[in-house]
Amino acid sequence: MTGVESPLPLLAVENLTMRFGGLVAVDDVSFTAYRREITAIIGPNGAGKTTVFNCLTGFYRPSAGRLVMHKGSEILRLERIEGFRIVGRAGIARTFQNIRLFAGMTVLENLIIAQHNPLMKASVFSLAGLFGLSHYRAAERTAVERARHWLDRIGLTDRADWLAAALPYGAQRRLEIARALCTGPALLCLDEPAAGLNPRESAELNELLLGVRDEEQIGILLIEHDMSVVMGISDHVIVLDYGRKIADGTPAEVRADPEVIKAYLGEDEIDNTEDKGAAVHPRVLRDAPFGRSSA
Amino acid sequence: MTVASGHAVDKAAKPPVFWVPLLKDAILAGLVAVLLALPLVGLQTYDIGGGALGIRTHFDWVVIAGVAVFAGRLALRLLRQIYRARPTGRSAVLASLAAWGNRQAVPITLAGIACAGALPFLPFSSRYLIDLGTTVLIYVMLGWGLNVVVGLAGLLDLGYVAFYAVGAYTFGLLTHDLDFTFWEALPFSGLVAASFGVILGFPVLRLRGDYLAIVTLGFGEIIRIVLLNWASVTGGPNGIGGIPRPSFFGLPFARPAPEGATTFNQFFGLEFSPDHRVIFLYFVILAMALLTNAFTLRIRRLPIGRAWEALREDEVACRALGINPTTVKLSAFAIGAMFGGFAGCFFATRQGFISPESFTFIESATILAIVVLGGMGSQMGVVLAAILLVSLPEFGRAFAEFRMLIFGAAMVGVMVWRPRGLIAHREPTLRLGPQRATR
Repeated sequence: MTGVESPLPLLAVENLTMRFGGLVAVDDVSFTAYRREITAIIGPNGAGKTTVFNCLTGFYRPSAGRLVMHKGSEILRLERIEGFRIVGRAGIARTFQNIRLFAGMTVLENLIIAQHNPLMKASVFSLAGLFGLSHYRAAERTAVERARHWLDRIGLTDRADWLAAALPYGAQRRLEIARALCTGPALLCLDEPAAGLNPRESAELNELLLGVRDEEQIGILLIEHDMSVVMGISDHVIVLDYGRKIADGTPAEVRADPEVIKAYLGEDEIDNTEDKGAAVHPRVLRDAPFGRSSA
Repeated sequence: MTVASGHAVDKAAKPPVFWVPLLKDAILAGLVAVLLALPLVGLQTYDIGGGALGIRTHFDWVVIAGVAVFAGRLALRLLRQIYRARPTGRSAVLASLAAWGNRQAVPITLAGIACAGALPFLPFSSRYLIDLGTTVLIYVMLGWGLNVVVGLAGLLDLGYVAFYAVGAYTFGLLTHDLDFTFWEALPFSGLVAASFGVILGFPVLRLRGDYLAIVTLGFGEIIRIVLLNWASVTGGPNGIGGIPRPSFFGLPFARPAPEGATTFNQFFGLEFSPDHRVIFLYFVILAMALLTNAFTLRIRRLPIGRAWEALREDEVACRALGINPTTVKLSAFAIGAMFGGFAGCFFATRQGFISPESFTFIESATILAIVVLGGMGSQMGVVLAAILLVSLPEFGRAFAEFRMLIFGAAMVGVMVWRPRGLIAHREPTLRLGPQRATR
């Protein structure tokens, strides 16, 4: 399942800790995400998955730990970059658990805003754009072309001029992913992209993510409860529980890990199932969509 | 009431009308009206001689108010129920009218500009009408300026009049102390107002919605109170007088020519008329307003304009896409304030006299009402609302004390029929559509 050559490290999270007052939401978590790989972060609700994302994308400043991003030959320390600059500097784009589109604007506009920084530079902070200089118009055409490329990929080209709010739920999820991709990221962070999707849409999403990984050669970091997505496309799974990392490995390894099963099914069940043998666990994990997750 | 409900049963046969909640609601509204009317119209003081006051009661008026509100509320709710049942009601007519307006936006705009340009030369136009047109245009320009902040960037600003005041006082002080003319002072007015926009912007960067509104409201009052009390600079409540009128490319409008200068009428060989200056002022504000509009329409389609709208929609998503909320907000405040400053400069030169009294909260409220009533973010809506809000009290003069009542009723009417403003349509800043058609 992993890449052909030895995978290139893209993001190294080292001893990340995030405290909110007395609450330790993320406790000494370390993991590495690689280029051309899909890394899934799973865990029961409240395990600290979204907090990790918020630290990576600059919404929170970590209490301790290092977030090292390898961008070409450059090595960046994410926790030292101002929040909104992380997209541009480090190339980390994200989506949100509860969809955050620009609802009152069109689908195309959503994708153009994602390219705000290059366009702003091309328009010389809007001065050149004000007088309609050709340089800016060319930049805008490029932006529209890129938007159109992603619209074609997510199958929304014929709805480009719709208001984003008018799209059905599944299309809104895809649009949010396309919007993140329009920033030209090196690492794409998706917070529960399959939440609320039906099985067919889920399968389409899998296909899209695998395609993005292989064509764009980027890393994908994924929080997901839908096990068909996690087990189907992840190259690498990290399991969090109560803010700590309890497992890290390929989907098959994680699925068989007794710690993971304990975290999801609780102590009692593990006592019962242990008599019946470890072979049960993979099936249990695949079929039961982990605790409270399957909304 | 029994008659009313009996009559209604026959009518209710066709569309189902729910009478009990309807009547309950109307009775409640009537009772509230009676309670309000009791002290307001029911009791009236009058002079009984010797400087003492007696109280007269007018309970009949209270009853009239209660019945009127009851009947009005009942009729309104009834109409709504019936029209909700039949989609071809009045709101559908308004909606189709709005849709036609959107399709014909360009011809309507051109016709509007042509009408505005021709106004002073129409046979029925008078000095009064041109003056009124000038006032309307000042409010249109202020509305367009505030539209950048409220309509596009979604930052609720209740103290916009502060920038209007800053623009006016910048010109007032520059001409008072340094003998600047209108045209020399105009850019400075905009610049100083824009700086004040940034100064206001910094402390409110973290605020949104109601909290932002309260701070901006306070800012507006601070500016006014400073102008009122810093008498050594601003002249305090006496204001600044003797502000020069604008000249026509260096030609003043005056009957006796100032020494060594040619007046406008001498240069063009016309008989002196005070109307020349009024008409000229009208065209100056028309040009300024149109420039504001052109600028706003243009900047909406640029990255910064789209970032404003994105900020209005979702600030968190903006940050995640690498947009710096600080600069985006500050630029919106600065640009909105700049137009306010330009309008203030014009106001000063038109009045020839400014004092803090002209920049009270009611001005901010009027400008905000123009933006909200017109439809947030809609340029054309601002024009319609400005015409409505400024000229309605003027035409209402014939009704003397009832004009504010008519004004209020019109506002309520618009909010009932078009709750999202007169023109709630938003034109996308770019489309894929036409390109697809060519493929």
